[in-house]
Amino acid sequence: MFRRFYFFVIGLVLFLLMPASGFGKQEGRIKHLSSITGNKEIGYLGLLGGVFFDENKNRLYATDTTNHRILAFDADFKYISEFTGGGALAFPASIVKDSKGTFFVTEPTEGRVLVIDIARKSIKPIDFSAVPEGNTIYPGHMAVDSADHLYIVDKANARILVFDSNLQFERQVLVKEGRGLRDVKVDTAGRIYALSTLDGSIRVYDNQGNLLLRFGKRGSNKGEFDFPVSLAIDQRGLIYVVDQHKNQVLVFNKKGQFLFAFSQLGWREGRLHLPSFIYINRSGQIFVVDRENARISIFEPQ
Amino acid sequence: MAMVRKGFLTSFFVIFSALVICAAVADQAGAQNAKASFKKCLTCHPDIQQDMAAKGAHAPFRKFQCSRCHNPHASNYEHLVKDEIGTLCKSCHKDKKGDRGKKYTHLPVEEGACLKCHNAHLSKNPKLLVAKGEDLCFGCHAEKKILSKKNRHDPVKKGHCLRCHSPHSSDQEALVKKDLKQICTTCHSVKNKKAKNAHLDYPVQDTNCMSCHNPHGSNRSSLIKETSHEPFAQKKCTTCHNEQGSKNPLGLKGKGASICITCHASAQEDFKKINSHVHQGVFCVSCHSPHASDEDHLKKAKEVKVCLCCHEDTQGCIKDKKNEHKHPLVKEGKCSPCHRPHGSNFRLFFGADEFRVCADCHKKHVKFTHPIGKEASDPRSKRDITCITCHKLMGSPYQFALRFDRKKQLCIQCHKGY
Repeated sequence: MFRRFYFFVIGLVLFLLMPASGFGKQEGRIKHLSSITGNKEIGYLGLLGGVFFDENKNRLYATDTTNHRILAFDADFKYISEFTGGGALAFPASIVKDSKGTFFVTEPTEGRVLVIDIARKSIKPIDFSAVPEGNTIYPGHMAVDSADHLYIVDKANARILVFDSNLQFERQVLVKEGRGLRDVKVDTAGRIYALSTLDGSIRVYDNQGNLLLRFGKRGSNKGEFDFPVSLAIDQRGLIYVVDQHKNQVLVFNKKGQFLFAFSQLGWREGRLHLPSFIYINRSGQIFVVDRENARISIFEPQ
Repeated sequence: MAMVRKGFLTSFFVIFSALVICAAVADQAGAQNAKASFKKCLTCHPDIQQDMAAKGAHAPFRKFQCSRCHNPHASNYEHLVKDEIGTLCKSCHKDKKGDRGKKYTHLPVEEGACLKCHNAHLSKNPKLLVAKGEDLCFGCHAEKKILSKKNRHDPVKKGHCLRCHSPHSSDQEALVKKDLKQICTTCHSVKNKKAKNAHLDYPVQDTNCMSCHNPHGSNRSSLIKETSHEPFAQKKCTTCHNEQGSKNPLGLKGKGASICITCHASAQEDFKKINSHVHQGVFCVSCHSPHASDEDHLKKAKEVKVCLCCHEDTQGCIKDKKNEHKHPLVKEGKCSPCHRPHGSNFRLFFGADEFRVCADCHKKHVKFTHPIGKEASDPRSKRDITCITCHKLMGSPYQFALRFDRKKQLCIQCHKGY
């Protein structure tokens, strides 16, 4: 009789402990690492556009759009220098770099993507003449794959323009029925991820542009979006989506199932206020452009 | 064997009949009990007795089942009702007509305010409605605006709003009963000679009539909306569309928004901003009507409706009952005095930087406000303090649309020593 009661108590204790260990807040998996804010050295940060982490040089680059400059930081996020192109940059928005060291910077106000070769001191726009006609191209965010293909969001035509490593136009991926195409990323397997804000959808295509998966919607339930604006893929294939109006990053597995979310509205470090862009480097550091707080918030898995 | 079966059938019939009689007796007894116990209600509420006997009384009310809705002892709700009105009504009125889960819901239904349209006890009108026909709808929906027009749609004149609208919910915009491309042709033919002539022989049978006509009323003939796009006014359809006799007469002459930019070249510059509402296709018609409109700048609908159609979560914030304090322009449904609808090089599509956009109107306030601008840094984020550091203008539970309660939380966000 006593033994039966003893087992019952142990069972009860284990049952009570289970939610704490098994279903505890997964938010705890991500911790805030650091923040890049304006300071005396770099001055106030304006509207930040995008960020890119150069794995070869261990450097972080960020576009300070309204201050017409690109900022460089080292692996410890210490400021190194700024690049203004001698006044050649109008409103630099998104930034990526290929394996040869060439920067690509979008300037949506000019409807162009600049190719910046710092070694050769050359800045010239990509030639869009071979791109199928439509509305005047409005370049949004960009991505580069392992073969140096460049992927450019064309917001004005709901498509992703793909250029080869020689910057010759290769093809376009039409994001059909995706209202408000906003961001693109490419994973290590060459899959293309496109985010459309207005219908809150994420579409995954193979490298030929065939649709593999579509998930996500706007709504108030768990795992649904208010206003998703950017996405990134980590080395495990998890999909991180920045929701600007929820002030959170929502994380999904490869199948598009919601796993957990992290951060919340706030002004202190680790909190977000209308975040606008996300980038994840190979070591898993998560860079979030925290636009209204005028900073780059860096998180990492615990 | 046959005897056994016969015996079984007889027993079954007897038991079944007994059960039916018991149920009927129990029901009657229950009703009598209810009457007996709730007759006490009449001691204090003698005025309701006459109503209970009247034709059109709500069934539980008529049957003296006061406790179906009221708790005789105590309640958290007005009139001692057992639950919030919406929940209470739904407990009996299940979704028989499939009203729930549709894309658009009438605001009182969404808010659970059933009593805005229905009486709980008695009404002279069918379905316990508080008023009849147009008197019911015009209680909330601007009667003057709809009825002041020189020409009115026949159902509007007669107050037959439900000819076109569903009262509870619909999958169509404006709670219209059918697809917007079909609702009008239910009564109006567009295939007769008169209609064909009016539409210059363009095949309009599968188009949205509301692109040109106001379904309620207009000062112009044929209920055409008050302001027309110039080519439409001049009946120059071919400015934008293909010829009537062509393969695709309703098709456009140019690709995407180029058809609009041909004439509105300056608008294109508005979109060349770092924040831009540029989209695919003829994106101008997402917000503007290409034919006729009752709004300024040929907007498709009232400004706030056009904006919140995409910014649905902002709509949620504005409508949230907790957020009773808002910027007056938000209350008025005006977005464009602060935000640029095409594009902007400033934060949040503002028309100027965060200081000027507020200071242009709040001229006095900026003279005595808390330090703002580049000289005042927010210790939390290290960025410059602006008006929206402390104010949440789309809606806040706190006075002056502040982000926190100014008496308890606001200042100590930064001034920790206090």
